[in-house]
Amino acid sequence: METTRTLDPVTFEVLKNGFVNLVDQMAEQMLRTCYSFVIYNRDFSCALCDAEGNTIMQGTQDISVHVGTLHLTAKAVLEDFGDDIHPGDVFLVNDPYRGGTHFSDTRVIYPVFYEGRLIALMQTNGHWADVGGSNPGSFDVTAKEHYGEGMRIPPVRIYSKGQYLKDVVNIIVKNMRLPEERLGDLRSQVEAAKVGEVQLQAMIRKYGVETVLEAFSEVQNYVERLTRAKVKTLPKGTWETVDYIDMDPEVGDGLIPIRVKMTITDDEILYDLSGSHPYISCFLNAGFGSALSGTYAGTKTFFPEIPLNSGFYRVVKTHLPENSVVNAPSPVAVSGYCSGSFEKIMNACFELWSNIMPERALACSFNLEYLLIGGYDTRNDARDYFMWYDWMAGGHGGRIDRDGANTTSPVFGVGLSVQPCEGQERLSPVLTTKHEIITDSAGPGKYRGGCGVEKGGQLTDIEGTVMSYCCDRSRSITWGIMGGLPSIPQGAVLNPGSDSEQFLGTIFSNVPLQKGDTFTRPAAGGGGLGDPLERDMYAVLEDVIDEYVSIERARKDYGVIIQEIDRDLDQFEIDYEATQRERDYIRNNRNAWFNEDPKEVERLYRAGDIDQMDVVRKYGVIMDYTTNDVLPISTAQYRESMEKRTVAHW
Amino acid sequence: MVQSRLAIDVGGTFTDVFVFNEETGEVFVTKTSSTPANPEQGILDGIDKAQLKGQDIKVFSHGTTVGTNALIERKLPKTALVTTKGFRDVTEIRRGTKEDIWDMYEDTAKPYIKRRDRFEVPERVDYEGNVLEALDEEAMRTLARKLKRRETESVAICFVNSYMNGENELKAKKIIEEELPGVYVCTSSEVLPEMFEHERMSTTIINAVLGPIMSRYIKKLEVEMHDRGYEEDILVLHSGGGVMTSSTVPKFAARLASSGIAAGAIASKHIAKLCGFDNAIGLDMGGTSTDISLMHDGEIRITKDWAIEYGYPIGFPSIEILTIGAGGGSLAWKDEGGSLRNGPQSAGAMPGPACYSRGGTEPTNSDANLVLGRLGVKLLDGSMTLDKDKADAAVQKIASEFGYSLEEAASAIIEVANANMSDAVRLISVRRGYDPRDFALVAFGGAGPLHGAELAQDLNIPIVIVPPHPGVAAAMGCLLVDVRHDISKTYVKNAVDTTAAELLEQFAAMKKEAKILLEEEGISDESSTLMNYLDLRYKGQWRSLAIPVPDDFESLLPILESFHEEHAREFAFSDEDQPVEIYGLRVTAIGTVPKPELPQFEAQGQLEAALKETRPVYFNNEFVEANVYNRELIPVGAVIEGPAIVDQLDTTTVIPTGFVAKVDAYKNIIISVTTEY
Repeated sequence: METTRTLDPVTFEVLKNGFVNLVDQMAEQMLRTCYSFVIYNRDFSCALCDAEGNTIMQGTQDISVHVGTLHLTAKAVLEDFGDDIHPGDVFLVNDPYRGGTHFSDTRVIYPVFYEGRLIALMQTNGHWADVGGSNPGSFDVTAKEHYGEGMRIPPVRIYSKGQYLKDVVNIIVKNMRLPEERLGDLRSQVEAAKVGEVQLQAMIRKYGVETVLEAFSEVQNYVERLTRAKVKTLPKGTWETVDYIDMDPEVGDGLIPIRVKMTITDDEILYDLSGSHPYISCFLNAGFGSALSGTYAGTKTFFPEIPLNSGFYRVVKTHLPENSVVNAPSPVAVSGYCSGSFEKIMNACFELWSNIMPERALACSFNLEYLLIGGYDTRNDARDYFMWYDWMAGGHGGRIDRDGANTTSPVFGVGLSVQPCEGQERLSPVLTTKHEIITDSAGPGKYRGGCGVEKGGQLTDIEGTVMSYCCDRSRSITWGIMGGLPSIPQGAVLNPGSDSEQFLGTIFSNVPLQKGDTFTRPAAGGGGLGDPLERDMYAVLEDVIDEYVSIERARKDYGVIIQEIDRDLDQFEIDYEATQRERDYIRNNRNAWFNEDPKEVERLYRAGDIDQMDVVRKYGVIMDYTTNDVLPISTAQYRESMEKRTVAHW
Repeated sequence: MVQSRLAIDVGGTFTDVFVFNEETGEVFVTKTSSTPANPEQGILDGIDKAQLKGQDIKVFSHGTTVGTNALIERKLPKTALVTTKGFRDVTEIRRGTKEDIWDMYEDTAKPYIKRRDRFEVPERVDYEGNVLEALDEEAMRTLARKLKRRETESVAICFVNSYMNGENELKAKKIIEEELPGVYVCTSSEVLPEMFEHERMSTTIINAVLGPIMSRYIKKLEVEMHDRGYEEDILVLHSGGGVMTSSTVPKFAARLASSGIAAGAIASKHIAKLCGFDNAIGLDMGGTSTDISLMHDGEIRITKDWAIEYGYPIGFPSIEILTIGAGGGSLAWKDEGGSLRNGPQSAGAMPGPACYSRGGTEPTNSDANLVLGRLGVKLLDGSMTLDKDKADAAVQKIASEFGYSLEEAASAIIEVANANMSDAVRLISVRRGYDPRDFALVAFGGAGPLHGAELAQDLNIPIVIVPPHPGVAAAMGCLLVDVRHDISKTYVKNAVDTTAAELLEQFAAMKKEAKILLEEEGISDESSTLMNYLDLRYKGQWRSLAIPVPDDFESLLPILESFHEEHAREFAFSDEDQPVEIYGLRVTAIGTVPKPELPQFEAQGQLEAALKETRPVYFNNEFVEANVYNRELIPVGAVIEGPAIVDQLDTTTVIPTGFVAKVDAYKNIIISVTTEY
């Protein structure tokens, strides 16, 4: 569909780039003045929206999870306030049931007027470190409803005609921990939006308001045109797959399906998530905004050169079944959507697109995880309340012609930085004991996944301290494609290596901690791509030298037999004949292993004959590692997927 | 007869040579090809081409790409990292982020030290600097022997929290020195005692991999130069906008990771100051990219967010340069959405712009400039002829795509290129609270003067300065700097919880260290200047601002006031009721190096004598007959009215219709820009 253009190409290109520049200027200002360490580590986004709330331009470094939601919150403000929006007004919104993501993502919407007419909305969105609720950091994994999770802010006016509404802002921030810092974030976001306004007014002075408004719509048309042109060249058809959340904690055994069906027509990409599970009893559900965003972000990953704005959303359309895990209504809890539904939708999209654009194929990547420790710091007399709020990098999925990226931020937002422990140790009585790559964590494949990471610590001077975890994929383990194998289960461990060692799983809340307790948890590696028996044995050797892969698993996962000659000098040897034999042996037996009775696998594991990697990679079996019981339903579901993604390609 | 000051800027393709004869005040410039395989050679070739003898040279200062090339190509000595148990992967994990957040096939560069060469020892220091676990010296010694067996050539030591207490690092260093005599070793607490393990480790690793390379390079160059009769120190430019001598090169090799990058910014600052401007934006536009820098109140902006490759920061302060992919060779193209784009792809040196007749067929900025008559067909000395037909054919592609005439297409290409550059200039000016109307634009590099006037108009910059030798102006920057060291230290405390006395004591210790460095460089007391800064922020914020503080003070109040003012200028808001936190202390040590005094010339001769020809040049949608002048013959004091073109060997200056240019006593062309509003 060719849309008519009225701007000459030069004016268009200049204004388009000018909009990118304007949004980047807002982002830079926010980064440099914010108070929340979460924002500082780049969990934020900015947008220029038109008077209807459509996104014209977003930041070039925005968190993926925010991409498809900024127009929704802009529209929510317009819907609620209509004609009652005036120059000097500023609005605040964080409502996931109105298109937001979760309460922490708090958005300032700043209307811009020209000669009395509303022409644009500047939006600055930051993840506030705390928005109240029962748990520090506002993550309550046990929440079923949003009451108590944190402060829900529907579109609300915080400046009226230039007048700061102190009382309104007060009632908001006084419901949060460290209200002064939240005021700092709010001010930072309002000032950043002003930077955008100043720049827009300068453009209007130079080019005239009608030209700028025309460019607003032409930039959207441009992205639409660009996207449709790409779609035209794609094969047409329908593809579908399923990814899973680990469980509904109230139900127990049984992975929670998220079904994604994608249809490519002549000029559109249609997603249908029908058949996805009804919403579950914990906060891993997604509201409609973040689920939409999952399909946009999953698609965009395969079209990295297309800028994102509402023009893109005209081409990519998504149906989300009501009352489901991908479209949970108020008051169902959705704050953990980022670890739950969102990344499952994204990874399912990766798999679908890997079939259509194999040159950009990508296996599953590790799951986003947030570990929160909150309590009283007894290192000094002030006994301040501390929040140790941590997330990790991990392995990305294997690719068509190369291994997955090692130790990279989650697909949820590759721009999100991990935190330095030296900063954390100043702020909290938590001593980091290790922050390192996990040997063998990468899902094996012709091209293995990226390596995962482990970070552990010890509590030093604490009182009244608890730990909570927002994670997933201890059961729906990071999977491979095109014959590749899974990586490792995620989940936190308390007091590892001691008599009181305890696997706590991926979602838990308020576990009490004592001085001297230690903990650790992995961020998984990425899933492998392609049959690991076809991996170049010299690549396996290099991995062994770097201890990305152990000698033992080089044999088990890749069938490559390596002898250590002198590790100090990096001297190893491949036994070619033994490798041939081992590879034949695995090839001849692996289908049988994959069909082994799960009960027998449970017995072998309990007897110490096999480890967690064997359980999932060799047998495709899912266990509950808090009890070491096999999970028959989850295993059947996981094997069904693995049959299609892996076994069918051997 | 010792009389010349020699500056050499070794770039990726060309080595620029700038010679200033103190006696006559004459300037000689030339270019030779760079010789990356044998980096000294290009420099010696340049000296030969300038017909200089070692004993004629009074000062030799230069910028080099030796460090950059070694890093990017990973041609590094076998280097080991020794770190705290549990932390050997910090440099590979980085902050986890990627530069391109969407393209999953665009990877972050691999670490400079492979995992097999990263080792751990038991030891631990806490956030206050208390030793929780002393270094396991036996384990360290065993490791050192292993490193010896591995024929390790260089060692980086970086322990967690060593910025608070470097005791364990120094013990480890001592053991390594005992077991591996002669091997290069550096510790993070000596290189950069600042908080954040990844940034400090990354800086230390880069220092360790470059230490042996840069030391070897400078020694070799010294030998060659001594053979030619040059007896003085060789000065090397570092990214902080100063020079160092061979005595400190090993200690701060990481500062030479991109030695030449600061040269252009420094030259631009100097030129602007000569012309009486304290605020200037430097635009160094070459064949493939443009470097933009900013000077405010006589000081160039400094940044700490700096890396050669994304993900591996170098924590030393560095001159802030914004590089964008816009140059003479940048390609114009139509994307799938139907938009006219310019760059960042470039035709490079090969095949080059279509008009170079080296096989290029795609339209570049140079082709568009030729179509518009802004570039002449024949270069001044006749050494090269541009092919107008080939340029027409290339630009015609864009004309056909968009239904333009040839000239409209060429003009559109230039407008888009200028707009991209003005967006970049806006990011480091308007965005930072600077108003371009208060600035002068210094346009240099091979293509800067072609675009400068219209770009300035676009940005409402009132003045454009085109220096006498724009093509090699950057090299001149090497002669215009002082010896400079930046010492920094993390120091986190609320402003109200500290006293002037305590801070002064901290500063005193740092100044002592700075003094020793200057002494090692042979700088006399009279030539030394030390400046102190406090990094301040509102408590709760994450970034800080460096605020200058006097040598002696009794109260922090005036310093806090300057912080509030600076915050308001930079971010458009401040709040005097908010508590302020100190984040770090810095001392900058300057050893003044005598600088050349560029000569001023008397007005002599007539402008008419410089008139070469007239030719049709396209401005404002039409061809107009423009005077074309030979720059060498233009007298000081001449006034040139646009439309006009000024030709010289290394560049072409465009003065559009309605603009007026004047040549000052230093032979700079100063263009007054007609602003639209």
